[in-house]
Amino acid sequence: MTIDLNAYLGHFAFRRLPQSTGPELIRLMDRRRIDKAAVSSASAITYRNTQPGNDDVAAEARAHADRLIPFAVINPSYAGWLDDLKECHERYGMRGVRLYPMWHGYRLTDGVCRELVDAAAERKMLISIPIRVEDPRQRSWLVSVPDTPFDDVAALVRARPAARFALVNGTGYAGSVLGKADSGLPANYVIDIALLTAVIQNEIGQLLTNLGPDRLVFGTGMPFLYPDPALLKLDVLDAPEPAKAKIRGENAARLLSR
Amino acid sequence: MFRDVLSRRALLASAPAAAALAPPGVTVIDCHAHLHHHSNARWRELDKALIDAADKLGIDQLCCSILTPARPSGPEQFRECNRWVAEAMERFPRRVLGYCYVNPGYTREAVAELRHWVLDRGFMGVKLYNEYFADEAAVFPLIEAAIELRVPVLQHAGHGHAHTFRDSQPRISDGGHLARLAARYPEAMLICAHLGGGGDWEWTIKALRHARSVYVDTSGSVTDNGLIELALRVCGPDRVLFGCDMSMTAGVGKVRAAEMSDAVRAQILGGNMQRILQRRNRLA
Repeated sequence: MTIDLNAYLGHFAFRRLPQSTGPELIRLMDRRRIDKAAVSSASAITYRNTQPGNDDVAAEARAHADRLIPFAVINPSYAGWLDDLKECHERYGMRGVRLYPMWHGYRLTDGVCRELVDAAAERKMLISIPIRVEDPRQRSWLVSVPDTPFDDVAALVRARPAARFALVNGTGYAGSVLGKADSGLPANYVIDIALLTAVIQNEIGQLLTNLGPDRLVFGTGMPFLYPDPALLKLDVLDAPEPAKAKIRGENAARLLSR
Repeated sequence: MFRDVLSRRALLASAPAAAALAPPGVTVIDCHAHLHHHSNARWRELDKALIDAADKLGIDQLCCSILTPARPSGPEQFRECNRWVAEAMERFPRRVLGYCYVNPGYTREAVAELRHWVLDRGFMGVKLYNEYFADEAAVFPLIEAAIELRVPVLQHAGHGHAHTFRDSQPRISDGGHLARLAARYPEAMLICAHLGGGGDWEWTIKALRHARSVYVDTSGSVTDNGLIELALRVCGPDRVLFGCDMSMTAGVGKVRAAEMSDAVRAQILGGNMQRILQRRNRLA
């Protein structure tokens, strides 16, 4: 089974996304033999109040409950976030939250963010942190949003060892504390392969060596990104088939089943 | 020449990536690749890793240059790079094709360097970086030499907003510079480098819509959904060239993913570049 832990629905503020509706995304998944995808609202990345984006995703996911796994975009610096989290979990059945600290004006190290992580962990929701949304070289003249700092991520996963994190849309982990074997960090986070290399520098191979096959997950970034590069990485990755099976879906299934 | 390559690819056809990438009989040419500067202690290993990656992904030939780590480079520095490319062409026969990298600021040396490597050693093109804007007068003698030699010019390019590139690369060219150069030299074969690594690709594609002699190269780490389709729609399938610029699965994956006919995919993956290379072969 192939499970994509890095997918989205809806409009994005700075570029028209193809296949941004539920039916379109499902057709793309069918063509690429992707069984399930964790989806959150692309619109909520730039909405001040993210909950209408979550409402939209919930409606789309409800119609494809066997394929789409809805995640909530929650901004812990915005009024009513705890009510939104409750609604997303209890009413919409959302299985995870996505955090955009650099877009939403807070840091992962802020107390309010840790409150959100605690609340989500109590509900056994997976906490997904996109390190970036788009390549920074193509950013709009309106915004300058840096990548989520790895040091902030490391501080958060260290401070909340009982929570479970999925780091998506990042690159350069192998040279950071998050990708080191002897970092002293808890093994409470996984890393998706969407922006990692599988040949030449082969960051996926480095992370397999450093962290082990339980710590990597499949992610495409669709529909922001084409899904094929991530699929190709699994094809060409020099790793035993059991390790590839874990990356392709087993690790994600385990994380989503709790 | 291509028969050997094709039979080699046939051996690789069982690899899922290779089988999925190209329609049968297509020679896949990466129009934008780099070998590693020999100041990198791992250059041999990394060059071999590039060829291994090409094998896995079904890429038959790679058009390669070596750039100096520090720029602007002087004549001794770019000559050294080109010698290393020539050595790699011998080390990886029929897999590595050579771009001659020069700094246009050294007009006499740069033109002589290009003529030497194309005429005497079979290099297939010239690679220009960001020492000058593409439409600056310093570049013109090289463009005129490339026209005479019937070789393409691969121009490093990017367009960002709010100083994305300008601070670090004050003379980086963009689609606008290339369009102006094309207007001055419509017979030149110009390639605008890495749509997938040059910032706002929608801007670049639109800037080049009417510059019909400029090709766009799909390379770079950015795999934005829709990039290839927009390039095809705006520039047309005759002007789109497959490339990776060392982002191998990104380069292959986006061409595999994009919606197009098999005939168009064959054009992008190799047909268009073969047509470019054949112009030089006719001269030879």
